[in-house]
Amino acid sequence: MKKLLTSIVALLLIFNAYAEQKTLTVAAYPSVDEIIKTALIEWKKKHPDVDIKVVGREYADHHTAMTTALATATSLPDVMTIEYGYLGRFAQSGALEDLSQPPYRANDVAKKIVPFAMAQARTQAHGQIAIPTDIGPGAMFYRNDLAQKAKVKDAELTESWDSFIESGKKIKSATGAYLVAHARDVKDIVIRTGIPADEGVYFDSRGQSVVGTSPRFQKGFELAKKIRTEGLDAKVNAWSGEWGESLKRGNVSVQMMGAWLGGHLANWLAPNTAGLWRSTALPERAATSWGGTFYAIPKKAQNKELAWDLISYLTLNRQQQQLAFEKFNAFPALLDAQSGPFFEQPVQFLGGQKARIEWKNTASQIEPTRVFKHDTIAEEIVNAELDLVLLKGKPIDQALKDANSQIQRRARR
Amino acid sequence: MKPIIKPSIAPYVLISPFIILFLAFGLFPILFSFVLMFHTWDPVQGLASMQFVGLENLAFAIDDPLVWTSLGNTLWLAVASGLPQHLIAIPLAYLINEKLGRWRNAVMGAYFLPYITSTVPIAMMFSTLFSTDYGMVNAMLLKLAQTPLFQHVLPNTNVDWLGDPKTIKPIVAFVVFWRYLGFNIILYVAAMQAIPRDQYEAARMDGAKSFQQFWYITLPQLKPIMFFGVTLTIIGGLQLFEEPFILTGGKGGMEYAGMTTAMYMYRTAFDYNDYGLASAISWMLFIIILAMTILTNKAFKGKEVQA
Amino acid sequence: MSDLHKSDQDTLSGWGWMALLLGAVFMLGPFYFMFVFATLPRTEIFSVPPPLFFGDHFLANMAILMKKIPFWINLGWSLYVGLASTALTLLFCSMAGFAFAIYDFKFKNALFSVVMGTMLVPAFLGMIPTFLIMDALHWIDQPRALYLPGAAPAMGIFLMRQYISSAIPKELIEAARMDGCGELRIYWSVVVPLLGPAFGTLGLIAFIASWNNFIGPLVVMRSVEMYTFPLALRSVQSPVDTEWGALMAGSAIAVIPLLIIFIFSSRRLIEGLTSGAVRG
Repeated sequence: MKKLLTSIVALLLIFNAYAEQKTLTVAAYPSVDEIIKTALIEWKKKHPDVDIKVVGREYADHHTAMTTALATATSLPDVMTIEYGYLGRFAQSGALEDLSQPPYRANDVAKKIVPFAMAQARTQAHGQIAIPTDIGPGAMFYRNDLAQKAKVKDAELTESWDSFIESGKKIKSATGAYLVAHARDVKDIVIRTGIPADEGVYFDSRGQSVVGTSPRFQKGFELAKKIRTEGLDAKVNAWSGEWGESLKRGNVSVQMMGAWLGGHLANWLAPNTAGLWRSTALPERAATSWGGTFYAIPKKAQNKELAWDLISYLTLNRQQQQLAFEKFNAFPALLDAQSGPFFEQPVQFLGGQKARIEWKNTASQIEPTRVFKHDTIAEEIVNAELDLVLLKGKPIDQALKDANSQIQRRARR
Repeated sequence: MKPIIKPSIAPYVLISPFIILFLAFGLFPILFSFVLMFHTWDPVQGLASMQFVGLENLAFAIDDPLVWTSLGNTLWLAVASGLPQHLIAIPLAYLINEKLGRWRNAVMGAYFLPYITSTVPIAMMFSTLFSTDYGMVNAMLLKLAQTPLFQHVLPNTNVDWLGDPKTIKPIVAFVVFWRYLGFNIILYVAAMQAIPRDQYEAARMDGAKSFQQFWYITLPQLKPIMFFGVTLTIIGGLQLFEEPFILTGGKGGMEYAGMTTAMYMYRTAFDYNDYGLASAISWMLFIIILAMTILTNKAFKGKEVQA
Repeated sequence: MSDLHKSDQDTLSGWGWMALLLGAVFMLGPFYFMFVFATLPRTEIFSVPPPLFFGDHFLANMAILMKKIPFWINLGWSLYVGLASTALTLLFCSMAGFAFAIYDFKFKNALFSVVMGTMLVPAFLGMIPTFLIMDALHWIDQPRALYLPGAAPAMGIFLMRQYISSAIPKELIEAARMDGCGELRIYWSVVVPLLGPAFGTLGLIAFIASWNNFIGPLVVMRSVEMYTFPLALRSVQSPVDTEWGALMAGSAIAVIPLLIIFIFSSRRLIEGLTSGAVRG
């Protein structure tokens, strides 16, 4: 009996000692999970006694799991990755640490990071709920060979939306290629341009929908309609198989997206078109961003200090930020990392253009936009109305009015 | 030998595992969902943030055009995908059971493959096949449209299968049918296995042809399994989620033509963060499923008594 | 008469064969692409016209996949959970189905309605409450959270009830009772041996449902080492950067164990009741 008791006690002590070893749980989706795993190689050297668990899930699965964890306040990771699209929803949860408070004091390092991205994760009620790690400064990728054939110059594409469309017509008649993948893409950029401070894309500072009243939406819809009626869009959705195919074959001459697209084009989307593309600014000097990754610490996390240590490394360490860019196309949010040999390098895929510097300049011009919980619904409702305009010829003002009332109805909840 | 368990309590012992599991894991989610129907809740804000709103969710749902669109879609899809599943499975099962010897397993396996594959490769396969500009289906149709036979029947432009609201529903129905046909074939073959061979022998002696044997011997004895299969198809059809989800990229397609009620529920709960409304919609759907199940029950009960 | 009879059978066979073969090609067609995709590098998969021939990238794709996820561990968990789930399902559902089919007892109809009622709650709405339960039980990250809750699915009970009430005559039960068998003994020694086709069918369905289920593990598993295979495969999908070839290779492999189980259980389907133990 005594022996049994001793062994039980011994076992308990062993388990206890085992439990003393800290385990840091990091939740992410591809390819952020890969970025984190790469970073851990260096980070672990400074924290050899820490056991790290990277829980990778598919993008939507990850956010669903995070929603579930936040809903029940259990099984929360120490480091939570949040993509820009979900920021609005998670920001209001009240379950994420305000990183501007001690011991994190994110405000001290805020000026090291691209301002608009920091601002996106700042809320009035809950403070700085996340830190950005990568951003997607908008760029226009265009097929130089097709533009040349149509005698269209870079400046014509970017000077104004009207000249952009005119260029599209020239390209279409000279080469047969469409201007853009989908008319909606143009609308997306226009509605994100010229947003007043403290407002969001779809909502004003009081949370009221601006879809019916803001000239941005009117202009965006009109331009989209013009592109459709002129037959300048390929009607393919981004990231679909057909879209990839269009890019490979040169059926689409312009793709406006985050700068990270360049890397994807080179790696797997359209490697056969190397050297044919160039990058330039968006029309009318629009400066918008696509996506972006953020890290947050849940209030109920177990190892918050350790989590902040890792997050600091991921977001503030120049080598790490540049490594993420080089290997995974994650454009650094750290200002300091937006320089150096990699940035100065000519990009082979883009015909030797020093595009990365241009992207950095765009990034510095992007204005912060507030995120709202109902951004996702608003986006869908607006897109559904745009479909009606493009496919069924619904009048634009009616469409915008309907979109506005639908959004208001849903946003009240 | 004395019976250990009395026949009177034996049934309770036998269903106790089910009851225990239900009480432990099944009851709570149902109650949770029921309670949530009367609250408004953004899951991200944690359990404590639930607020009682009475019938507001139900009122909103009844007033919501998307709820009715999705219900219409769901009913259409349930019938369009469910009916062929059985109408075609039964004769095929008969053929497989009667006519195939060594090939039976291989053929059943072929029909079964769609059922056992997960949705990701299925989504890829079908979006590739039905791609507007680059899919095989359109390529074939275009070729056929050149021939004199079909020239006036088929369009000679590419059909936007997945994008056009008119075609997305038939495509989804087809994929669902494709996926579950094999399942029903297996079911019916198993049921046909239970029919004693001597009944067929006797019929053959009396000069009955294959078709008559099928109609008078096989079909009536399939009723119990048919009841099972049809009920499952109805419930599954009304809860259709995966296939429309993957074929419309999770959005429901143009004009929401491909959005089923289950899909709308999912989006309401996890994309719009309105869990209370999602619960309300789920209970609306539940009522419909319950009604359909009772109707099916009545329809088959009559036939069961006859058999 | 036998001549007429014979040619009639042949015609049916002819048409029957055609229909079956056409159908089988139809069913298999899309899979051909899945297997082709599994053998191609990512850049070639989305080309048009779709690639028709196998490539040589299968092993490369598998290597990519194995680097991203603990492939064999995930596969192992899927197998373990699948087998446990199937075994329990066969046992519990046949027990309950037997009870509903043979006995008349109080609350029978009410309980059967409860059984049917459980079929009516969609899985994803149950995610959060299920998560709460699992957390309260400390079953997070444990396989039993995957195979226990669904171990007596209503659908299985329903199937068993239908099968038992149609294929097992009451006389047999009565005879056993008169021989002095206890009720449980009747269940185990008399009824269970006759459930071949039903066990084959339900076992197959249960295993497949368990194998392809990813919502359960998504909610309950917190470490990649505990993922079942479909969840692990999904975790390879990136919003912009998926290794499609690897994903297809993994999907192709995911289908194989199910096919094997199918081959096994379809033999039981064939055994059936032809030995005449029940009728005649």
